[in-house]
Amino acid sequence: MISILLAIAVGSLFASGTYLILRRGQIKLILGLALLSHGVNLLLFGSGRLTEGRPPIFLDKNEYAETIASNLPADPLPQALILTAIVISFGITAFVIVLVNRRHTVTQTDYVHGEYVPLLREGDPFDFSDSSDSVQYDWLAYEIDEVYDSEDLLPGIPAMPVSERDESTAMEEDSYQWP
Amino acid sequence: MAVSANLLAVPVAAPLLAAAFILLFARWGGRRRIRQQIALTSLALCLNLAAAAILFQATAGRGERFVLQLGDWSAPFGITFYGDGLSATLLLLTAIVALAVYPFAVATIDYHRARMGFHPLYLFLLMGVNGAFLSGDLFNLYVFFEVLLMASFVLLTIGAQPAQTNSGIRYVVLNLLASTIFLVAAGVAYGTLGTLNMAQIAERLPVASPAVQTVFAGLLLVSFGSKAPSLPLFFWLPSSYHTPPPAVTALFGGLLTKVGIYTLFRSFTLFFPELLVSWQPVLLTISGATMLVGALGALAQPGIRRVLSFHIISHVGFMLMGLAVAQSGNRLAVGFGLGAAVIYLCHHMIIKTALIMAGGAVELHMGSDRLVSIGGLVTRQPLLAFLFFMSAISLAGVPPFSGFVSKLSLLQITLDTRHWVVSGVSLFASLLTMINMMRLWRESFWGEYNRPSRVPVRILQSRIRQRLMLTPVAVLVLLSLALGIWGGPAITLSMRVAQQALDRQAYIEAVSPSSRISTADADLHLISSGTYLLVSPVAKSGTAAHAPPISRGSVR
Repeated sequence: MISILLAIAVGSLFASGTYLILRRGQIKLILGLALLSHGVNLLLFGSGRLTEGRPPIFLDKNEYAETIASNLPADPLPQALILTAIVISFGITAFVIVLVNRRHTVTQTDYVHGEYVPLLREGDPFDFSDSSDSVQYDWLAYEIDEVYDSEDLLPGIPAMPVSERDESTAMEEDSYQWP
Repeated sequence: MAVSANLLAVPVAAPLLAAAFILLFARWGGRRRIRQQIALTSLALCLNLAAAAILFQATAGRGERFVLQLGDWSAPFGITFYGDGLSATLLLLTAIVALAVYPFAVATIDYHRARMGFHPLYLFLLMGVNGAFLSGDLFNLYVFFEVLLMASFVLLTIGAQPAQTNSGIRYVVLNLLASTIFLVAAGVAYGTLGTLNMAQIAERLPVASPAVQTVFAGLLLVSFGSKAPSLPLFFWLPSSYHTPPPAVTALFGGLLTKVGIYTLFRSFTLFFPELLVSWQPVLLTISGATMLVGALGALAQPGIRRVLSFHIISHVGFMLMGLAVAQSGNRLAVGFGLGAAVIYLCHHMIIKTALIMAGGAVELHMGSDRLVSIGGLVTRQPLLAFLFFMSAISLAGVPPFSGFVSKLSLLQITLDTRHWVVSGVSLFASLLTMINMMRLWRESFWGEYNRPSRVPVRILQSRIRQRLMLTPVAVLVLLSLALGIWGGPAITLSMRVAQQALDRQAYIEAVSPSSRISTADADLHLISSGTYLLVSPVAKSGTAAHAPPISRGSVR
């Protein structure tokens, strides 16, 4: 009975997690990932067989033979696996939240876009002359920003606020010899 | 020279310790600290390369196998590291690629990214990849997957430019889904077979019901196929690999997808050798479609790195083709397909890294990698043009290079086993690769000199940085040339590696000798002195096996 309930719980967690991931909002994405990891944890829990009132570990070495003969021990390994999986999913959820927050700050959007697909445009699909995806190479701006330290060359890239400038971010590229 | 099995710990421990040391003692501070980080990272990379070379020499050269039970906990309960020819080959290539990309990364990664922890992350990624190659346990494999994924998430998004965060979301979500499916597979394995140790799974799977086998194999195929990436599940790769700095793309292109390939090879040869025969049509269809879609997709891409990332997908199809024909022999040897796939893997790791680095150098010179807006670099950078051309024709499979040897051997086994359609598709994909490479070459090096960026990138005016960027590319191209010229010995070596990987019985005996494993269908094990007993309360269905007794000591 309880295993049927567990199966239903795992299935509904997976279903709702998948549904939330397929939505466009970023918060729903995070919630969907969390629900999926909960579903997997419950599934791992079920893989150890649901038993009641059985000890996983025997403290008294002399008695455990008859204990086992009368009463099978519970399997403690799935709990250990779940603990590891919980820790990992905790770290990843934290990372995803930070990433989403940063993305919201940088791009001012809340939606998870699909990628820009040049083939779906009208006209010649192999003519890329007018595609305006130069924004994808803006990692270079970071480089240039570091070397020149001049904001007017780079409209649109926010300058580092004065409060964050310390001696280690001072631009000393000219005197710096690379190894 | 006798090699101790403790050497297996070095490829994981050296990057881990160096990264921890950096985070503890050389994390905060100015450029002096970053120089110390660079020195420590180089040291760890060199140690890793030395250990991998010794392991490769012992396993692939002399046919040994190494098993390391960490902390003296024996097989099904402790952490098991297993090293044979396949693992050692991948470890060696990983070490070479990581060491080759590192000077490029030192020269091109800017100060801000270095300050945010680029160098320790590089080491953590290497540690995760090495651990995944060595792991002999499904759950440890999952943990190492997560380690390398976490490091790759941060490396992909470090710097947090808008395009990076956009692609980071797609990459993170799709890879997490694949990991989740893999964890489900691990849960299924534990619930039905009562173990997570790969040797024990291989031992118990033949007596399990066909439904368990099919579900387990399907889950593994989906999750590893998504990490590899094969056809229906590859969309995270081309939408994210063009956004980080080129050094990160070169590292990812060289290492990350190969972990998925390795786990596919390992799981299918170890767990389901009979499914390699019965699922052969499925695998061949996936591989043919993957290589075709990858090559066709590359044809439609506007930038250098986008083209190259689609070619990664195309080449995954070639390796899967070798796996699909692994169990069928030709007149040369049984397992020739897997050997050909292994040598293709080596070729791919070497030359794809070189090509992405060369493309990244072009991108740094031009300020953009959009093919329509750049051109004419051959007069300004003749050495770069030469290296790019050499690696491009090696990728396409022109004779003196390694691409020819690996593609020829794959084609030979496919033709010998009479899979005409997929061999024709592979030839067509090779032709498309050639067209794409020539397109890249023509658009970026020939024609009028055209530099779209109006801001000069001063990073390239330093001669030292130029050398740091081009020397590793040259070294990798020379390696590819050597692999092509000494193709005969390389084929012999990879055949030996493939035979070793296909020998399941040796794996099972090496990790946990059958005398210690009891698969008898009884709830009660005989209790011997000094042995703790732990019986998993699995149902008495007759198909489920039981957890064996833990025996301490007597560790290889």
